[in-house]
Amino acid sequence: MYFLIIAFGFLLAVRGAKPAPLQDPKEGLRRVWREAVDFFLTTALLVALWIVWTSVGKAQALAREYAFLGIGAASYLLARYQKKTDLFFLCVAVTVFAVLLRQEGFLTSLSWVWAISLGIAFFQVCFLGLRYQLLLSRVPSSMKGWPLLCLLAGFISMALWGITRLVF
Amino acid sequence: MKLPERFFSRVLLAYLPLMVYPYGFFRSCVAAAWIVLFFWGSVLFFWLTRRFFFRPVLKHAFFLWLIVWGQAVWAVTKLPPFWILSVFFLTPSPFFDDRASTDPVRIFSKKIPRYAFERIAAGIGFAGFTALLALVKDVAAKDLGLGIFEQPAGTLLVIAAIAFLWKNQPYQKRG
Repeated sequence: MYFLIIAFGFLLAVRGAKPAPLQDPKEGLRRVWREAVDFFLTTALLVALWIVWTSVGKAQALAREYAFLGIGAASYLLARYQKKTDLFFLCVAVTVFAVLLRQEGFLTSLSWVWAISLGIAFFQVCFLGLRYQLLLSRVPSSMKGWPLLCLLAGFISMALWGITRLVF
Repeated sequence: MKLPERFFSRVLLAYLPLMVYPYGFFRSCVAAAWIVLFFWGSVLFFWLTRRFFFRPVLKHAFFLWLIVWGQAVWAVTKLPPFWILSVFFLTPSPFFDDRASTDPVRIFSKKIPRYAFERIAAGIGFAGFTALLALVKDVAAKDLGLGIFEQPAGTLLVIAAIAFLWKNQPYQKRG
């Protein structure tokens, strides 16, 4: 799950919703948290729907057989309804599937969803903060772009490792 | 000739979802090979059937295609569907753009070889990139015992080094 947080946090940070300009970190922070809340609510709703679906006796076998198909279609519709990006929909579908693979109860699954959403948001906040700080530094042009972004992601990953080891 | 930056971006972004799989070298290479074959198959399928999908429907059909294949592969091989994100990033972005040109392209058009070359190069580049990183991760974590490679940070730092080398590759004059 930690790998999922870092990979999806990085993907959503660089290719997620339209970012605010780096010069306006407050607006950037607001957008990150709004996206995180949307991510949590969407994944939690899908987990709840799946639990309801599997609790119906006759539909249980069907739900287990076509789990990803159902989750994928539902997350696509939810993402379109919220006018989210394609990446958001794919991340939600895959995250819900990863959580449900653990085959735990509703509350435990919900806490996993909460931890993942919070982790992704925390990663993005750190990423945004570091990028903002680097605006004021003289970064060599040979390091700008992907080298710098990957380096920042690596450092954040190292820093979060200690915290998340307590959870995962 | 300097290889374009967007080629590296596409390969790098497609690799990130693969990081989630807890696989060693061999299984990572198998997963990457499957992704590349599926990507080429998808491009070919949608190119051959492009007359059946008018522009606004194409994107939805592609995502449905991904979900159905994600389900099918999971049912047969138990490979979790993170790989569909890799296919999504390898797929050229005009594919998802509703405003992109819908002009028919003739089979002997000069555009075809270039388009095909870009798709083939992206697939091979992605497979090579995945194999290289899986090998580095295996050697560093198992043989050298470097703890940093048991978490994503090790891989990301290696990617940063590769990105640096890619960005600063020397220009080479054509003979």
